[in-house]
Amino acid sequence: MSDLRGDELLERVVAELRRPVALSPDFDARVMAALEPPSPWTAPLRWLTRPRTVTVSPLGLLGAAACLAGLVVAGAALATRALRVLEPPPQVAVAPAPGPRAEVVRFVLAAPGARRVSVIGDFNDWDAEATPLRPAAAGVWVADVALPPGRHEYAFLIDGREWRADPIAPRAPANEYGVPNSVITVGARSS
Amino acid sequence: MIRRAGLLLSWLLAAAAPLRAQDPRLAARLDPAALRSVQPLVDSARALGLPAEPLVSKALEGAAKRASAERIAAAVRALLADLRTARVALGPGADGPAVAAGASALRAGIRPEDLHRLRDAGGGAAVPLAVLAELVARGVPADTAVEAVLELARHGVAEPEYTRFERHVVQDIGAGIPPGVAAATRAAAPAALGPPAGVTRGAPPAGRPRPAPPAHP
Repeated sequence: MSDLRGDELLERVVAELRRPVALSPDFDARVMAALEPPSPWTAPLRWLTRPRTVTVSPLGLLGAAACLAGLVVAGAALATRALRVLEPPPQVAVAPAPGPRAEVVRFVLAAPGARRVSVIGDFNDWDAEATPLRPAAAGVWVADVALPPGRHEYAFLIDGREWRADPIAPRAPANEYGVPNSVITVGARSS
Repeated sequence: MIRRAGLLLSWLLAAAAPLRAQDPRLAARLDPAALRSVQPLVDSARALGLPAEPLVSKALEGAAKRASAERIAAAVRALLADLRTARVALGPGADGPAVAAGASALRAGIRPEDLHRLRDAGGGAAVPLAVLAELVARGVPADTAVEAVLELARHGVAEPEYTRFERHVVQDIGAGIPPGVAAATRAAAPAALGPPAGVTRGAPPAGRPRPAPPAHP
């Protein structure tokens, strides 16, 4: 009786072992993924992230700090230079204290052959050096000036000796000095 | 003793006052003869409560144009007289820029009584007066220019509308419309100037007939 029971048990174990194992459908894919070669970044990343002990002498540390400070200073200088390059050219010459209600006025004069043109008026204390015009194209000179509201008299000075009124602006009525002035009225901003 | 010290202090302050008031731009740009002539005129303007900056500017203009001392002094003196006339016409409430603009309007041919009318209508500020002077400089007859600016003032338009009005007139003149016609036509329709955002336009006086716009030629 006990032998029969032992044979049955043995047969059952054998049958169980012979039964095919049911595998999940993605088993093959997981195995193949595990067998793929490692990424080329794996080794450098492991090298970089592996902790290690570095010994530095005090002199070496000072040298490294000096190099770092030099890099910071050079970077700041380069950044400042780059910002200067990116800044717009000085097109707007601001008259003294134009105030928050100032309006930018463009002065234009056609003066072919001129080497230097300035706009001179009560907004810059009649200073010949204060507001030079810049050459635009084909003998045309331009300056953008921020003017406070009100009436302003001005004239152009060409090459430091020839006065000329603005041909597209009205003339000032008074002409005490023999050189006519032009007039521009700047209003308060509407918005 | 205390009284003497007080008198001495008063004398010192009085003597120092012209030194304090002297404009460094004049000292830097005028020759000594011109400075001696111009500085008392500038001091007089300050003492009378008139704006001194137009006088300084007129003197600096003369220096820039290499005018003689006599010519600079004459120009500053004439401007001082116009500033005084403008102050009287516009009243003691007018600020410095308004008085300066009033003097410019007088120089453009506007009469003092017209400045007075503008002040009463609310157009006695710097920008309306400057626009008035510029209209005349653009060829608008003085009487027409006064009536145009008065019309805007009676409607209580804001400062930006005066300059917008002037630009419209200038455009019209450029398009060939006679200056007087352009100014009168534009002033007759101030609503077309468009009020600036946030500004409430004053209502026109009731019962006053509006002038019809003149016909274009």
